[in-house]
Amino acid sequence: MFYRLSGTYHTSYQADRKLWKIPTDRWLVIGLLVLALLAPLYVSPLYLGSYVLPWVIWSAAALSLTLLMGLAGQLHFGFAAVMAIGAYASIHLVRAGVPFELALLLSGLISAVIGAIFGGAALRVKGLYLVMATLAMQYLVDWVVVNVPAISGGAHATLRTPAVSFLFFPIESLSARYWLALGWAVLLTVFFMNVKRTSFGRALVAIRDKDFAAAVIGVDPFRTKLMAFFTSSFMGGVTGAILAFCFYRAVTPEQFGFNVSIQLVAMVLVGGLGSVIGSWLGAGFVLLAPIFLTNLVSGLAASGWVPVSQNFLSHLPLMIYGAMIIGFLLLEPLGLAKIYDNIRKYFLVWPFRHARS
Amino acid sequence: MTFLRKLALTTALVAGLSAPVAAEDVKFGLLQDFTAVYTFVTGQYNQGQQDYLALVNAEGTLGDGNTVTAIVRDTGNQPQRGIEAYNRAKEEGAVLFDFLSTPVSAAILDQAQADKNVVITPAHGRGDASDGTVFPYVFPMFATYWAQAAALIEHMKETGGLEGKKIAIVHIDSPFGREPGPILQALSEQEKFEFQAFPYASPGNEQSAAWSEVRRYRPDYVLIWGAGGGQAVSVRTAIQNGIRPEQIHSVIWLAETDAANVGPQMKGVKRFEATASGTDHPIIQRIQEKVIDAGKGSGDQANVGTSYYNLGVATMAVAVEAARLGMEGGQPLTGDALKAGFEKIAGFDAEGLMPPVTYTAEDHQGGGAGRVSEWDGEKWVPVSEWHAAYPELIRQVIEESAAKYAAEH
Repeated sequence: MFYRLSGTYHTSYQADRKLWKIPTDRWLVIGLLVLALLAPLYVSPLYLGSYVLPWVIWSAAALSLTLLMGLAGQLHFGFAAVMAIGAYASIHLVRAGVPFELALLLSGLISAVIGAIFGGAALRVKGLYLVMATLAMQYLVDWVVVNVPAISGGAHATLRTPAVSFLFFPIESLSARYWLALGWAVLLTVFFMNVKRTSFGRALVAIRDKDFAAAVIGVDPFRTKLMAFFTSSFMGGVTGAILAFCFYRAVTPEQFGFNVSIQLVAMVLVGGLGSVIGSWLGAGFVLLAPIFLTNLVSGLAASGWVPVSQNFLSHLPLMIYGAMIIGFLLLEPLGLAKIYDNIRKYFLVWPFRHARS
Repeated sequence: MTFLRKLALTTALVAGLSAPVAAEDVKFGLLQDFTAVYTFVTGQYNQGQQDYLALVNAEGTLGDGNTVTAIVRDTGNQPQRGIEAYNRAKEEGAVLFDFLSTPVSAAILDQAQADKNVVITPAHGRGDASDGTVFPYVFPMFATYWAQAAALIEHMKETGGLEGKKIAIVHIDSPFGREPGPILQALSEQEKFEFQAFPYASPGNEQSAAWSEVRRYRPDYVLIWGAGGGQAVSVRTAIQNGIRPEQIHSVIWLAETDAANVGPQMKGVKRFEATASGTDHPIIQRIQEKVIDAGKGSGDQANVGTSYYNLGVATMAVAVEAARLGMEGGQPLTGDALKAGFEKIAGFDAEGLMPPVTYTAEDHQGGGAGRVSEWDGEKWVPVSEWHAAYPELIRQVIEESAAKYAAEH
């Protein structure tokens, strides 16, 4: 009913391979894109700078990680380190006089190369053992950043991003920073949806489902796994650079610590492995739910609804947040994306009850 | 939203023009980490801050019916949550911010400078922010880590001499742990002692490797530089490795809870302190009487008078004094007025709770005075007078580092 199917015919292969075959989906996406593009006009700076902008950037990060974890099935618990490499590389490149556009690409490449080297472990180990290998990457990168003053920026380990412009637009105002981040996130989204339809994407899925079975049908596991790490780390590296230049504008090692890696994994899992919409929803949930809950609980406390100590007050949102994660995963183990999918399928045939696929 | 705010502003302006000066509610943003890394200090520290602000409102310290409100939020030590909390508190009208977290402070410093809002980094944060000409809106307020290291070294010099002695600095492997490095380097040449650094991995629950190295080094004095649970581990492991408690000197982050965790063998350990501990001070007495006994306390009564509680009280005592001076003459308290208020503070000692501090446009550290106190098994007993150690050297390090920062940005 709401996702009207009648009258929609796919008469050519091209029409059948469209990203959004149902007009409603297409209009929804276009509508959301327009809303996102115009956000600086109608969202107050508080919400744009503290909610929408980080959400967009972390969605890009979740998309990068879900390419590796969701599509290729390679667990990565050190993704914040990949982003750290991108962030630090881009700042040092720009400081050395490299144009920002080029620095973004180069920082992505540097992350990709280092990420692929650590990904080499994936050629030998799988599952939990790969988690250990990627954890090692997290701690090694952390250690190097903290212990090499040339990278971390000296005694106080805070490195400010220099003023830059992107294609002649100065990346200084909040709107400009938001649009650049949005552009990157949209690019990643479109790339991700398309990569699923390429031979590379199908090779990734084959490797995920059973790597030696994939080898039997002619997919080279060595090349594909390395390529998965390379591509994902490239995306993560550029996202790290975007995070540094568009959001933090001063980087410290703590911004890319182990807990950030875990947050990224949580975004991917809560959202739904390997799903585009799941990456956006998961990033929004993991990033913004604690903030909303903290403000909500503080508001309730200020109005005298919950008379408790500051300490308990601060932990209460965490408890609710934890319960919500467990609740969502119990309700739908495949993540927020699946919850949206269920709703969509319900309305696809509403007022009837059953939908195929 | 914007229209409504404009409308409200205009109404307020019109009302302000017609009415006599209205009482102002000053807002302080205490956006700290209650749930992640800084939990060892934040609970007591923030309780002291809130209780003192309650006392200010009860006593009308700010005059003219002005009051002060704390906006308290948990940031979980995450920069992105700190940024959100900062922007929100800014909209609510906060003019002073205390994050008590290195990553959050670092992420907001530039924005706060641009917004002309005062950020206080009491007893933590970057030392070169003491140079008010480079960081006009940042106030470290009390002795920076550099001044703390100098005070501890001076105490060693006075109690046992330094020439030819060996000092082991056992620190957490992080930028914070490396803070005393430059001061030790400069002083080792001046005072002719040698020193060696022994880092241990964060968070410091396990330090045996570092301490067995220290044992081999046979130091005359030991400086421990960590925070939270790692501090008790340092003291315990040191004693296991044959270091006497009297040899151990700690950064400011060693308090009653650590002593309870270490046990009776803690007796004799020394630490730097920027404020006195205990309840035997006029301000703490009045808090007890007018806030706690009146049922308006913000937390567990047992915390009143602990080191971090009193530190929190002292931070707000200075901040409220700055706000009072900034509002003199009935002007509204903006970030600029608050900064000017800070720089008018001279010889303020919160009725003896802390050493007298004087801020100028150049010196935002307030002199960097402190003292050394020793754990006697029950409480911290001061073993030196309030004073600043090697002030010229500290000032020189501050200015060099600030100049480097200014040149880079």
